[in-house]
Amino acid sequence: MPMTNGLRVTGLHKRFGDIEALRGIDLEVPRGRLVGFLGPNGAGKTTTMRGVLGLVAMDAGSVTWDGSPMSEDDRHHIGYMPQERGLYPRMMVHEHIAYMGRLAGLDHATADRRARQWAERVGLADRGDDLIQELSTGNQQRVQLAVALVHEPELLILDEPFAGLDPVAVATLSEVMAEQVARGASVVFSSHQLDLVQDLAEHVTIVATGLTRATGTVTDLRAQSPVRHLEIHWNGSVPSWSPPDGEPRNAPAGVSRFVVPADSDAAVLIASAAASGAVGAVSFEPPGLDDVFLELVSR
Amino acid sequence: MVKEVAWREIRTRARTKSFRWITGILVAAAIVGPVLAAVVPENTDDDRREVTIGLVAIDQGIENQIAAFAEAGLDITFRDFTSASSEQVGQALADGEIDLALESGPTLVWNRSTDFEIAGVVYTVLQQQALLARGRALGLDQGDIVELLTPVELEERFANEAGESEGVTIFVSFLGLMAAFMLPQIFGQLTMMSVVEEKSTRVIEVLLNHLRPRTLLLGKVLGVGALAVVQLVVVVGGLAAALLATDSIDIPAAVWRFVPIILVSILGGLAIYNTLFALLGSLISRQEDASQVMMPIFIPLMAGFFIGQTAITGNAESLLVKALTLFPLTAPMLLPLRVARDAIAPWEVALSLGFLVLGVWGLIRIAARVYEFTLLHTGSRVGWGQLVRLSRGATLD
Repeated sequence: MPMTNGLRVTGLHKRFGDIEALRGIDLEVPRGRLVGFLGPNGAGKTTTMRGVLGLVAMDAGSVTWDGSPMSEDDRHHIGYMPQERGLYPRMMVHEHIAYMGRLAGLDHATADRRARQWAERVGLADRGDDLIQELSTGNQQRVQLAVALVHEPELLILDEPFAGLDPVAVATLSEVMAEQVARGASVVFSSHQLDLVQDLAEHVTIVATGLTRATGTVTDLRAQSPVRHLEIHWNGSVPSWSPPDGEPRNAPAGVSRFVVPADSDAAVLIASAAASGAVGAVSFEPPGLDDVFLELVSR
Repeated sequence: MVKEVAWREIRTRARTKSFRWITGILVAAAIVGPVLAAVVPENTDDDRREVTIGLVAIDQGIENQIAAFAEAGLDITFRDFTSASSEQVGQALADGEIDLALESGPTLVWNRSTDFEIAGVVYTVLQQQALLARGRALGLDQGDIVELLTPVELEERFANEAGESEGVTIFVSFLGLMAAFMLPQIFGQLTMMSVVEEKSTRVIEVLLNHLRPRTLLLGKVLGVGALAVVQLVVVVGGLAAALLATDSIDIPAAVWRFVPIILVSILGGLAIYNTLFALLGSLISRQEDASQVMMPIFIPLMAGFFIGQTAITGNAESLLVKALTLFPLTAPMLLPLRVARDAIAPWEVALSLGFLVLGVWGLIRIAARVYEFTLLHTGSRVGWGQLVRLSRGATLD
């Protein structure tokens, strides 16, 4: 097996009673890379993350960091943001962030300084002395992000970090994630907002029913799809043209949309369409990440 | 890390309104009680009972003697009923105008029943009057009669110092018993709620990223225990200051011999019960389920308390009391009592404390093992059977 910098998860298996939650999960998050970890509910994403964190003992498989089995010390350098927010409701914002920093090994002064820095960075500078329970759900999520980052982790694991966030918070979180990648951290996050994932992450791993179904760059996964999306904007009325082997899709007025085999010749299709009506504009593209995802998980 | 966890528990719990209010009320009660007792006279004029006595055909000079004799407890008014008929006297008694009518004889006329407080006063005065009259009839002069009636002065002494300090000993023993009974309940439940809060909010997932379950458990038990000690010290300190300031009590030297045992027992009780509450708290995921798992803890607590109550003044050397003194869950309540009553051998004290320390150590080990599996368990509570298997080293399904 080649030496890998960063996180490498290989063949994770986990059974809970009669339920086989993980049946062979592979995941790779090199240093300085942002990886989207995608899958439908119950696919095994959270269990995999808990396995990496050592919260759940795996039945089989391995978790390595920089090529070596992940140690307890390595786990001190992980920042984790759980799906269900893990905060003390009756602690104050600054106090909470600093406390978690100290648990992660920072001294008092550094933890306090970083707590203030991160509270400011996530937009909560003026709420430092407020109790967590007095914050909105979105602001609690910002605190959770600060908690995950206060000790400047080498590996950042974010379970559904965008759930319930407003657009401003989404933008802040996206920026922070990009900053972490830029400083060399490995960042893996799960999300059901695939458009967001497509915009943020160059690499994704898609899992379903406890198995890794696909992994690679978003561009590659889209390119590997067996279909393409053909969209034609007509000048004037829409003719009753349809490509051979094409499946029509819903489209607004003046537009035709089809799903065609990936090996279709775009030039031939355009010429055929032009023979039927006045073609204004044409796009011939691989499907989006959401279609790739649906196709992979439904196999 | 244990210190960090403990310190967080202390800070967050100490600033809750409920903790501050309860501590404030207890301190106020501890200070106000002795101060009030010192400031308020034992018996004021306002406390004296008002009594009216009707004098019917009896020596009218008697009222001064009765009033003087009853001065401490009764405020007596006399009404002249010499010309009243027996029906009028009966009506006055029935209407409550008078509490007693004194007729010649002398006869005490009550409404329906005897009032023994009034009867005692009147009887004593009448007895003295009769004795004086008989003395004079026998030719004795006033000085002889007074000497004859002078009561014998009795002196008391106590063979042992303990006898002199028994009241204080019982009081301090009872305080110790109450503290050993109440503090583990109050602060144990705080510990349990803290564990459940960490599970229900899922903050436990973040914590376990940096902490071992054993560290978390120890920090929690120590932190909440320290808070209990702070509250105890503040309240007892307030009480002691108030007692000393008002000069209400002389603390006998004997008391200081068992105060350290009380403190050690309370600390041991807090450690063992906090650990037990934390362990059982880890079996559930919602605070609403706490009552389901707490019940077994109250059995030894209640047993220790009730048996301790009987042992304060009763038999402190029965087989049951001796056995429960060695049992770590009841020892914190019974050990100080037996030491206070001087009803325990030194080897029993050593054995009891040894078992208590072993109990705390063993329970922390078991709790830490169980904790590893139950802290991340959500949904339905972990059953008693599963708990037993986990404590033996098995893993959860």
